[in-house]
Amino acid sequence: MEYAIELKNISKSFGPVAANKNINLSLAKGEILALLGENGSGKTTLMNMLSGIYMPDSGSIFIDGKRVQINSPEDSGKLGIGMVHQHFKLVERFTALENIRIGMRGEGRFLHGNEVRNKIENTASRFGFEIDLDKKVANMAVSEKQTLEILKVLCYGAKIIILDEPTAVLTVQEIDRLFNVLRRMKNEGHSIIIITHKLNEVMEISDRVTVLRHGDYIGTVNTKETNDKELTELMVGRKITLNIDRPVIEKTHPLLEIRDLTVKNDEGAIAVDHINFYIRGGEILGVAGIAGSGQKELCEAIAGLRKIEEGHMIHEGESIVGMSPKKILEHGISMSFIPEDRLGMGLAPSLSITDNMILKSYNDTKGIFVDRKSAREEAQKVIRKLEINTPSADTPVRRLSGGNVQKVLLGREIKSGPNVLITAYPVRGLDINSSYTIYDILNGEKKKGVGILFVGEDLDVMLSLCDKIMVICHGKLQGVVNSDHTTKEEIGLMMTGTLNIVNKEGKTDGIAKDSAFTDEEVKA
Amino acid sequence: MKKYHLVRRADSKIQRTLIYYAIGILVSLSICGILLLILGINPFQYYGKMLTIGLVGNRYGYKSIEGLLKVFVPLLITSLALSLSFKMRFWNIGGEGEFLIGAICASIVAFNSSGLPNFVTVVLMCLAAMLSSGIIGIAIAALKVRFNTNETLMTLMLNYIMLYVIRYIGDTKADWNFFLREDSERPIFGSFPESAVMKGIPLGKFTLLWSVIIAVLLTAIIFVYLKYTKQGFEVSVVGDSSATARYAGMNVGKIILRTMFISSALIGLAAALAVSSAGTISDTITNDVGWTGIIVAWLSKLSIPAVFVTSILISILQYGCQAAATQYPAIDVNFADLLQGIILFSVLVADFAANFRIVKKEEAKNV
Repeated sequence: MEYAIELKNISKSFGPVAANKNINLSLAKGEILALLGENGSGKTTLMNMLSGIYMPDSGSIFIDGKRVQINSPEDSGKLGIGMVHQHFKLVERFTALENIRIGMRGEGRFLHGNEVRNKIENTASRFGFEIDLDKKVANMAVSEKQTLEILKVLCYGAKIIILDEPTAVLTVQEIDRLFNVLRRMKNEGHSIIIITHKLNEVMEISDRVTVLRHGDYIGTVNTKETNDKELTELMVGRKITLNIDRPVIEKTHPLLEIRDLTVKNDEGAIAVDHINFYIRGGEILGVAGIAGSGQKELCEAIAGLRKIEEGHMIHEGESIVGMSPKKILEHGISMSFIPEDRLGMGLAPSLSITDNMILKSYNDTKGIFVDRKSAREEAQKVIRKLEINTPSADTPVRRLSGGNVQKVLLGREIKSGPNVLITAYPVRGLDINSSYTIYDILNGEKKKGVGILFVGEDLDVMLSLCDKIMVICHGKLQGVVNSDHTTKEEIGLMMTGTLNIVNKEGKTDGIAKDSAFTDEEVKA
Repeated sequence: MKKYHLVRRADSKIQRTLIYYAIGILVSLSICGILLLILGINPFQYYGKMLTIGLVGNRYGYKSIEGLLKVFVPLLITSLALSLSFKMRFWNIGGEGEFLIGAICASIVAFNSSGLPNFVTVVLMCLAAMLSSGIIGIAIAALKVRFNTNETLMTLMLNYIMLYVIRYIGDTKADWNFFLREDSERPIFGSFPESAVMKGIPLGKFTLLWSVIIAVLLTAIIFVYLKYTKQGFEVSVVGDSSATARYAGMNVGKIILRTMFISSALIGLAAALAVSSAGTISDTITNDVGWTGIIVAWLSKLSIPAVFVTSILISILQYGCQAAATQYPAIDVNFADLLQGIILFSVLVADFAANFRIVKKEEAKNV
């Protein structure tokens, strides 16, 4: 049988780190292959060698049975390989048509010819894409951008399409739509590799699964002959339970209450729109929403890092509006935000663990000097307690692996003993083991009576971990649901704004019965 | 087909770096040696004179040391100041301009200081220079903080503005212009009154100027400031990630303003010490320290002890080239500049080679 792609003994290292060790992979024509592995297992590196971004140190690549050498993305395109990256490669100020057109070669000099438009429209209808070719990318939602990326590689004549974690940014309904498109592409004879670490998606869409672990090739199995458990074991290397604990704690009074909060984003548009909610001690409140629905602005507003336009924020009966970030921290509200690059906002990557421990507290000591002695002791305490894997407390944070980096960040936040912990994407990009450690840390805080706001991405995780979930769409509250009485589909509909259950059935969502707000404050 | 590619080395061994630097310097000396041979000069003799900075066989050897220190002090302080702002990732390439502002303001005090005691005059010169340079530094930092302007462009343009300001002063005969000599028809910068000239501790014939002592003390102070103080901690956090600094509750704008003030004020101080040591001002008073300082800071990887050592080496190179060039009629100071340029360039290449290696791509094996 002739394969669309065959990789034999591919190896690639970066300095002393072997990202891929003797990987073998084959992709049949008209097949969907899932490439499964934890973060850092070498999935993206391997695919970047197919798309010409990296070159293998050794090993060989066969396309349609012929041995090839891919030296650049252009070579890769000529061989009919198209990659849809996790971070889209689109020109924001251009329209969809222009974005596709700029990569087309040999189609005349003009950007807006009718021929080109017809060609693109034909391709779109053949695969069932709905897309407005004249819309600017800057005005597109995430799912539209992804559609455009896929359409783009199809228009360039790709027969082999590689998708790097395409579902990470999509809602449940959008994922369904994406999978329908993928099936259609498969029926047209295209071959697809989909990189993911979500098992349910692997089971749903793929024909075969290739598993990588720490850069090693583990094996390939037929999807029909396997199950979640076996795949997890292949991926992690040992048996683990997939259940997240949700201890039930006696809830206390509302610690943090937010009323009518309105916040603008950096561009001056409304990002958080008259939101009401509260967090009690001993509960984890999840925040679900499509990326960029106002999560970041909400977190920054509560932490005092962003000016609020309107509304009230009361912490244990005292208004925190207008307080400096430092004051708010001293009040017991701690906020940590893991951005997409995972280091940018909580930690200084070149500085040591010790220095990162005191980022927020270095100024509490007297005198002009930094007290590194007690800082190092604190760092060592956190390293022991959270089992952070590091040569020493003086190691720069950027040398640590992702899981350990996030433990350092959470360790610092809980070290100050907050009673409200705001944490956004704390398991972003972490493998299964590290994620569970983070959930344990959060549950430990919850048991201590801390109120936790958990801004998350993965609905399965949020349903298991959080007591309640509030859903936002375009900065508006769509409703607060109890994790035991809802479904992923319901939350998905709320995330896209299709369903709004605020104040339905006689409830007043987001306003506590035993609120610390006085009537005057509410009216004012 | 590409067969080679670059790979960053995983470790950075100090020995390897030094060996590569040595190779780089040897290569550049060989290139210049060939040039010298073409000019009919024995390169070994020339280099011997250069490295001994004219000390050997010179009755006035102590003068050479004094001359070397006059090159060294401004370069050291400027490099320290630039390292401070680079550590914050504030690309202050306006060392030349900041130096000239300081030099002009120190000279204003100097030319009007007759009658004042020497100590008072020199202190006033330093304060005037630090304040004027510092304010310009703050202004550029404020534009960056408030409007997010590009500091590289702003500081770069400052250099040219100040260069033309001092040329204007130097070329304009007028009643107001107290910078120029009154007894000369042609415009020539005047000499400072004796009260404004840097004094020092006499050690036999040699005089150790106070400016040298100040520069060495400053090195120690800045080392401690960056490594152990809270303000130094803030500088490194803002430099590493300003978003993190903001999330930690730091006032990033204030830190940028403060650091840029200190950085520019230090360059102003370097200028005041330089004009006072020279006893006059000119449009070449900077001796290009604003540019060379950038190279010193980078070669030292912003490490303060390394800045100290690198400044000494570059000063020997500069001063030694000039000293050697004076003894050969066939070459002039420009050759010294050429030699310096080639040496710095090869050291930078060596630095690159010490951090990256070229890897031959293994031919994929047929299976």
